Amino acid sequence: MEETIDAAAAAKSAERGGFWDLLPDDGILGRLFTFDSVLTTFKVVLAIVLGLMAVGLVVTVLKRVTRKSLDARTSSLVVKIVQYLGLALIAINAFDAANVDLSALLGAAGIAGIALGFAAQTTVSNFISGFFLVSEKTFSQGDVLNVDGTVGVVHSVDALSIKLRTFDNQLVRIPNEILIKAKVINITRFPARRLNIDLSVVYGTDINTVRRVLMEVADQNQEVLRNPEPLFLVKRFGDNAIEILYGVWLPKEDWLKGLNSIHVDIQRHFAQEGIAFAFPTMTIHMPAAKKGER
Amino acid sequence: MWTEWTLPKNEGTRIHRFGKAMLCVSADMAGEGDVLAAMPFYPESSHAQSASGRKKAPPALCLPPLADPAWTRYYMGKTQEYRLSPGYPTLPVCIRLRESFSLPPGADIQGWIFSHIEARIMVGGALVASFPLRKPFKTMYGTPESGVVCRFDEADFLDISEPTLDSLHQDPALVAHPVRLKNSSLEPVLVSELCIYGEQLSVYGVGTSMQSERLSFVFSESGVRMRLDGQGALPPKAILLTKPKVSGEERFIERSFELFKAMTRL
Repeated sequence: MEETIDAAAAAKSAERGGFWDLLPDDGILGRLFTFDSVLTTFKVVLAIVLGLMAVGLVVTVLKRVTRKSLDARTSSLVVKIVQYLGLALIAINAFDAANVDLSALLGAAGIAGIALGFAAQTTVSNFISGFFLVSEKTFSQGDVLNVDGTVGVVHSVDALSIKLRTFDNQLVRIPNEILIKAKVINITRFPARRLNIDLSVVYGTDINTVRRVLMEVADQNQEVLRNPEPLFLVKRFGDNAIEILYGVWLPKEDWLKGLNSIHVDIQRHFAQEGIAFAFPTMTIHMPAAKKGER
Repeated sequence: MWTEWTLPKNEGTRIHRFGKAMLCVSADMAGEGDVLAAMPFYPESSHAQSASGRKKAPPALCLPPLADPAWTRYYMGKTQEYRLSPGYPTLPVCIRLRESFSLPPGADIQGWIFSHIEARIMVGGALVASFPLRKPFKTMYGTPESGVVCRFDEADFLDISEPTLDSLHQDPALVAHPVRLKNSSLEPVLVSELCIYGEQLSVYGVGTSMQSERLSFVFSESGVRMRLDGQGALPPKAILLTKPKVSGEERFIERSFELFKAMTRL
């Protein structure tokens, strides 16, 4: 009987031969490194390596394509989405190659997803808000924004937030979720801006003279655009002054220079022409006192 | 005028006159080398006539000291020469026609317009500074939301085959542009301003005046498109003074198309 068993083991051993002789069937290595397990491992490794290569190739091509056709923010988001999707596909493929039943894993992932969803609610909200901001194309890197009173240059646009560099050189992080809800003013979206100046001149001033002087100011100032023409509007006869709205168009690059020079020019020209700025005054008319009254 | 000059080391400030505009060049010492200092000077138009209508004498030229920031300073080392060459502004030039006119449908006319150039100072082939030869103003070509900020200029449109070089156009600060205007739309179009991308154009010397390649402006329902007109031949004795900054008609068309897209919101 013993001989028969020995003969069967010998025959099996002869079938396997070579490398497998080093791994006895009853040893740990022998149980781990079966032919099937090695084949499975090879399949998993192949799935991961080929998957990573494919994702890398797609991401590289996508980066080149989106760099030309999309802005930096959109390009970065698209690339990241493709990258994450690719990695998810590699993982599913690798589990499939390893003959792992994904139904249980997906069930667990669903529960984990709910838990994570609650935990990362804000993060996800910011991420999704980022997509809406991208699709709206309200701003891009380098634009000057006013977000609820915070004014600054868009320093960077990231997946969850944007960073503004204020003019006194501070970095302000604004989450995308807030940007979606807030009133965002893009100050430098268009090539030119109108500088509106409210002027008040004293009663008795000839409005036509004021108009002529202000048009001369616009005509002589090198920062002011010749087209569109300046705006001159008599708003109302106020309590203390004739109120005028004066608007000149400036290129966005020359805004600060123009802001200074226009005010200086108006003051100089008004002084030359004898036009007085108004300030709050009150004229009191006293009725003549009757005889005998004190 | 558009030639090589020696640094004015012992003669004070040299004044290069371009019509009404002046370019002042001076030399300053900097150790063993020299510094070239340059600044433009534009006479104020208000000084030209007094209230009584009589012409005033031009004000004396009063230049700031060489340390003033109005001067552009360039360290030349041992180099003693600088070259003056004509050039177009970096910004596109929007030429407002003094008298606008309506172009009927299907019309195809040729004529001339003039624009002011800049004087470039080159040292050893390198650009040191470029000065407008007219007080530089800006304007918007198109609408404020989709237009282009341009250098402002004014000119007459001369509906003639050859430019009349009368006293008005003998100004050495002017360059002549032969243009072709075509209306391919079904409606008349009002021609009031023309926009030129100078960086794609050359400057040719023709006798004492200067001119560029011929430009074609095609007006259609969706806007205006500009390009170099390949049919336009240069005068036989034209000398190339300045090459285009950006060469190639393709770039010119590309830029024009960008402008076209911006203006038509395509």
